[in-house]
Amino acid sequence: MRNGRLADASGFGGRPAASSGFEEFYRQHYPHVVRLAQSVLGDFHAAQDVAQEVFLAAHGRFAGDVERAPGWVRVAAVHASLNVIRGERRRERRQRLSAAEEAVSGPEDVVVDREARAELRRALSRLPARSAAVLVLRHGGMSYGEIAQAVGVKVGQVGTMLRRAESALCQEMKHGSCQ
Amino acid sequence: MGHASDGTLRRLVDEPFAIADSTFDHIARCARCRARGEAMAHTASVAARRLSAPQLVPDVDRAWSDFERRVGEPDRGVASRRPARASWPPRRLAGLSLRGGVLAASVAVVVAGSAAGATLSGVFAPTRVAPVAINAQDLRAVAGLMSLGDTGSPGGFPTASGSGSLPFGSLRWTSSGSARSVGSAAAAQAISGVRVVLPARLPAGVGAATTFVVQPRVTATVTFDAAAGKLAGASVVVHAGPAVFVGYGSRSGGSDIPAMGVLVTPRPTASSAGATIGQIERFLMSRPGIPPELAQEIRLLGNASTVLPIPAPKGMSATSVRVDGWPGVLMADPSGVMSGVVWEDGSGLVHMVAGLLGQKSVLDVAGQLR
Repeated sequence: MRNGRLADASGFGGRPAASSGFEEFYRQHYPHVVRLAQSVLGDFHAAQDVAQEVFLAAHGRFAGDVERAPGWVRVAAVHASLNVIRGERRRERRQRLSAAEEAVSGPEDVVVDREARAELRRALSRLPARSAAVLVLRHGGMSYGEIAQAVGVKVGQVGTMLRRAESALCQEMKHGSCQ
Repeated sequence: MGHASDGTLRRLVDEPFAIADSTFDHIARCARCRARGEAMAHTASVAARRLSAPQLVPDVDRAWSDFERRVGEPDRGVASRRPARASWPPRRLAGLSLRGGVLAASVAVVVAGSAAGATLSGVFAPTRVAPVAINAQDLRAVAGLMSLGDTGSPGGFPTASGSGSLPFGSLRWTSSGSARSVGSAAAAQAISGVRVVLPARLPAGVGAATTFVVQPRVTATVTFDAAAGKLAGASVVVHAGPAVFVGYGSRSGGSDIPAMGVLVTPRPTASSAGATIGQIERFLMSRPGIPPELAQEIRLLGNASTVLPIPAPKGMSATSVRVDGWPGVLMADPSGVMSGVVWEDGSGLVHMVAGLLGQKSVLDVAGQLR
């Protein structure tokens, strides 16, 4: 029975095992957290990696009380994903500076990210962190009220932040015919 | 009252009932606010499209097992260790038309060829499968891109060997012959060289194997010419097959449509030269008639040098499964009448089992093909 375990499933002398309450929370929210991460990263596997890390962190924080965890894992997933793409951006910049000028096409090119996805990642990485988070959370299905609570702003500010983020995103993307 | 703020107009797009009546009335009367609101709605829809991701369904059971394992590790460093992959991407997927058992393989070849051509500058050798949601229009677009027409021929080509012109170059394909029926699985194995394993236990309602079809290996080469601009001189070579399809009749008889089909083929491979991944991908996916959604699906497959796209009718469900330990995708139509599973094993063989069967039956058959 998947959810029929005793709530106190912790092991002696080791890290506490995940409780059935946390398991239920995990199973309910994991797909959505993956999807949020994927909308930033554009990569299903990487999104699952991020989601897993987020839930591991959430387990340390909310293992005994998951009521506050749903909003936290979503925001954490978005921020973690944005950190990933910002790290990539820094890495790319370093590589550009150090790389030889002539780029020879070869198998290495396969790992060059696909253009559309890379463009989105670049655009998101250039947005202010909170704006990017609002943008991803909203398009990930969260309400204005939930977003306000999650990122610590007033509900009335969410629309403005969202509008600016969308506008900036479209301007950053070459193929976006926004206006 | 004054004009509505940007934030209010933006919220109107998503949560209209949260807007005060007085503000709502003003916007309804104010051409300027309406115009601003419409522009914002447009921008929002563009952003939504950009941020949209395919409907992938993670394997929660597997992810949870991995999670439990990692929680139990005494010195787990969250930031220092990457979790195991939580299985490959199951996507919205699809039942495969059984009648098109062999045809499905040919479609896979065509789409795989497209994806390979679209993404490779080096070698395409997929190690896992991933569904690409596809509809009739997409199929026509892909066939049109490759100038294949509606051939319905195994391998996607009208003849065993030949050549043709593409709007951006030339296409040449060769094989040792056309698809042909043989008398037994042993004959199919002997001719194709592909190890054919059939299930010992058949699901209820499925009769004996009645059809054995062998599709010889096909090699297709696309060479880009000046019409492809910067890609001129580049080429992509796709190898597919040989494939063996075994069709099973209905135990009650009376239908030409197989009740179940089993397909096995080495994974298609490809190599390209003379162009970078970005150049070829942008070029092929921007061809007139290629639906943007299809292009997006293919782009989102991830590293396509290791992913074999499996065409999947839109609107069908997909879940990730393990077949004898290898990741696969289980497809089912919403009514539960038809389902299929596709996976690639460790030896590089791609298998498909599909039929007018429930998901459990399909998986049971798949599990026997080791």
